[in-house]
Amino acid sequence: MNASFMGQFSSDARSLAGLLRRSVVEIRSPNGSGTGIIWGAGLIVTNAHCALGGPIQVDAHGKSWSADVVAHARDHDLALIAGASVAGPPLELRDAVTLQIGELVFAYGHPLGVRDSLAMGAVHAIARHPRSGDTRFIVADVRLAPGNSGGPLVDADGRLVGINSMVVNGLGVAIPALAVQRFINRATSRRAA
Amino acid sequence: MASEKNKNALAELSSRLTDAVKSAATYTVAIHARRRIPSSGIIWRDGIIVSASHTVRRDGVVRVTRPDGESVDASVIGRDASTDLVVLRANDLKTPPASRAASDSGDVGSLVLAVGRPGRNVTSSFGIVSASMDGWRSAQGARIGPVLRLDLAVYDGFSGGPLVAAAGGVIAMNNSALAQGTAAALPTTVVDRVVDELLSRGHIRRPFVGVAVHPVALNSATVNRHHLTSDSALLVVSVAEGAPADESGILIGDVITRVDGKDVARPVDLLDAFSGVADGASVSVGILRGGAPHTVSITPRDRESAGATE
Repeated sequence: MNASFMGQFSSDARSLAGLLRRSVVEIRSPNGSGTGIIWGAGLIVTNAHCALGGPIQVDAHGKSWSADVVAHARDHDLALIAGASVAGPPLELRDAVTLQIGELVFAYGHPLGVRDSLAMGAVHAIARHPRSGDTRFIVADVRLAPGNSGGPLVDADGRLVGINSMVVNGLGVAIPALAVQRFINRATSRRAA
Repeated sequence: MASEKNKNALAELSSRLTDAVKSAATYTVAIHARRRIPSSGIIWRDGIIVSASHTVRRDGVVRVTRPDGESVDASVIGRDASTDLVVLRANDLKTPPASRAASDSGDVGSLVLAVGRPGRNVTSSFGIVSASMDGWRSAQGARIGPVLRLDLAVYDGFSGGPLVAAAGGVIAMNNSALAQGTAAALPTTVVDRVVDELLSRGHIRRPFVGVAVHPVALNSATVNRHHLTSDSALLVVSVAEGAPADESGILIGDVITRVDGKDVARPVDLLDAFSGVADGASVSVGILRGGAPHTVSITPRDRESAGATE
């Protein structure tokens, strides 16, 4: 690994931060603040614990909107928000089953109210459901703080692997991106019906 | 997109990290010798596993989960309290021992992965080597060589597992007990030295002389007269009966100023001076007795075979 590799590494990390900046928002609620991910036209996904409990405000790209929770799943700690006319490119999804221990991952969000922060770490473990073998959580060795909740955990190519939701023993715990997609599919089909 | 991915340095590093973890997984075992969560161990040589002594709570036979998921018996063959290292022997380990990283891979700033196996699967955390503590001493005061301080997360089963270089190969054995529960690791050179000695001798040789000392201030006239570099020396406050110091004629009230030509000012200087003495060799000790200089010759013994206590 020579100096130019490290220079390239650094510059790739900067472009990754730039990419993620366009796809995340800040969520403010009476419960405190968190991070949200733009999921498509007018839809934002975040943790339920960031969004429930009162009126919410969405801040992004220097603007602010008031918005509503249109669906939530407390057991998965997920909430879907609509009403903010914020736009940004949705992130490509990656199935957590394909993640390998030691792989580089990045968390983006607003820890302790510090806007647009990037943290780097590695996949620590994949917690699977004991019977079905489904991925329940991604455990990542990445430094998170309150405010990172609801924000993206992405791989080295910027693909969304999970939503940062908890800190356990100093390790970040994320809900797999495909579980989030299933939650949104259920929520939007209910709305359409 | 595929060709673009190859150019991405993040993806390149990421794939090297997963390769390093996969390789470390082939020599990282789980050790079931404490309550609740198992600790990790490294297949260090053929049939030899090393781990953190504090995590192996019993002697005799313990269960070990091999990298392929099978469980086998291993027996504890030696421990060293000062480096908190335990050596176990097991047959049928099936996989080859840990490969070593390049010698500069543990330099401060190196990218490293801590790998553990607290059960069936491996876990990993990523960070850098933040310091190399060269003058590191055990709780008993013995100097045991450098210990690496790490900037990475300590998780269940961290202790006893390998610290591997981002480019692959083991650098050190992780052990949070070396630094009050924070991330630290014992470099391979120190592990090798302790393993060699435990395998050949069954314990670690520690020089035993049989004196207790207390630092005392010397006046400037004494310092000048005896050409000392320090204005403090070590007052002998007790001599164990029959110990090497007793046999050499050292008495309570003597003031030790030099060992092997080097001035001693603190009790740890004495420990360091005697640690460097070869097995069975003697060393000259300069003392002041009633203000007059004398030299005696002491042959330190191995503490373990001397059967001595602290």
